[in-house]
Amino acid sequence: MKNKEKHIGFILFVVFAVLPFTLAFGYALLYSFGVIGIVNEGFTLKFWKEVFTSSTLGVSFIYSSVIALIGVILSVSLALWIVLKYRESFGNKYLSFIIYMPLAVPGIVSAFFTYQLFAQSGFFARLSYQLNWIETAQQFPDLVNDNWAIGIIITFISLLTPFFILLYLNIYKDERIEELSQLSRALGANKKQIALKVSLPIMLKKSWVLIVLYFIFLLGAYEVPLILGQESPQMLSVLILRELKQFDLTKISEGYVMAVLYTVVIMSATVFIFSRKKLRNNAY
Amino acid sequence: MFLEIQYINKSFGKEQIVKDLNFSLAPHKTLSILGKSGCGKTSMLKIIGGLLKADSGNIILDGNDISELEAEKRNIVYLYQEDLLFPHLNVFENIAFGLRIKKQKEAHIQSKVKEMLELLELEDQGQKMPHQLSGGQRQRVSFGRAIIINPALLLLDEPFGSLDAGTRQRMQQLFKDIAHKFKITSLFVTHDLKEAILMGDEIAFMQSGKLKLYKNKEEFIADPSTGVQNEIGFWENLIPKGQNII
Repeated sequence: MKNKEKHIGFILFVVFAVLPFTLAFGYALLYSFGVIGIVNEGFTLKFWKEVFTSSTLGVSFIYSSVIALIGVILSVSLALWIVLKYRESFGNKYLSFIIYMPLAVPGIVSAFFTYQLFAQSGFFARLSYQLNWIETAQQFPDLVNDNWAIGIIITFISLLTPFFILLYLNIYKDERIEELSQLSRALGANKKQIALKVSLPIMLKKSWVLIVLYFIFLLGAYEVPLILGQESPQMLSVLILRELKQFDLTKISEGYVMAVLYTVVIMSATVFIFSRKKLRNNAY
Repeated sequence: MFLEIQYINKSFGKEQIVKDLNFSLAPHKTLSILGKSGCGKTSMLKIIGGLLKADSGNIILDGNDISELEAEKRNIVYLYQEDLLFPHLNVFENIAFGLRIKKQKEAHIQSKVKEMLELLELEDQGQKMPHQLSGGQRQRVSFGRAIIINPALLLLDEPFGSLDAGTRQRMQQLFKDIAHKFKITSLFVTHDLKEAILMGDEIAFMQSGKLKLYKNKEEFIADPSTGVQNEIGFWENLIPKGQNII
């Protein structure tokens, strides 16, 4: 009976997860080599050469990685600080509501919200004007569609921080960090040493896989950089979609090359993370 | 006396948890404290360890009033019922924790921890993580981690409560050996009658926040409130008089 259930589970996994992914990936791969596609004329490496000789993808990859990294680092740091400093306040239902509410807000809504607040025609710009801090909208700092991706990073932080707060509150409780902290005090550790040698290492060790997965998630984010990003460089998903929707049909294959490369990098990273985790678990 | 506890009181709201706690203990001795769950023994240990603030009273350790001193400066280690090993550190680093906090030299840490691992019969386990150890091994690591920093006073809160009978017996003997070797002064709290009699040089009984110290074990056994007489009665009733069970 158990074997049968296992087989059904495996078949469903193959049908609904592996098969669509493989077909889509195969389609993209064939398109990238010019084997299929309305204006393509057969197998060629020229689209791959085009992508590798142009710096667009590389720049976009580095740009996306930096933004995702900053977003994750700031979100995790903020969540850790809030949990270590104010965990007892989460008993207050209004405060916990304020913290957890953003979990229910979709990325696209958050992005619009950031736009409405931080754009040069947004709420804070108008407020600054009313307070006579600025005389024209242009004097307000460029926080949306800007060179430094500040709007994107603010939105990422607002989306990720509540999730990490929830995660770290649970880890704090499950790993009995309160008791371990008291024990550390008895062994002579001061507050700073407890934070650096006990609380933070335990919480980070327990959450590193999720941190990496969220980095990958941000790397491939679409709606937020689409609304709040600049024209160039663009984040990966926005760039790939732009290439795939080109009017010039001969350029579409380059979009598929980028999609294939992006998929290979992400899949390799994911497999590497989970194989390491599995190895570690087996070693235990 | 090495440890003097003077008129400690502690209340949570209207409930008084510790009432007029008064006792003293000579150096290198173990005081067993018997008490049921909720009698205030954990609060008493936490107050002495500096993890809980008393409403009134003084704690004198080796002639110094430490009542207002922070926990990390008291040189008193409080051991929980569970071993509470640091899950992110291996056995070696768990034992070395207190020495690293005190920024001791690496060579000194290496030699002290290796010596401790041998003493605890854990010399081959140094690189293992806590979850790879048995309950008894974990408790031994916990002892080693506390003892290696040479605490002035060790507070043990039902340390063997979660162990099976056999392991518990071995751990009791191990603790007695270590306490003797390192000349440890300790308060050993337990709800196990036999353990209380076995482990302490002196013995006390705690009930509803009040601690009663006995002059000797005979006085403790004779006091009906400790439950020893009930225990003796139980076994006598179980085995008819004159019958040899062996």
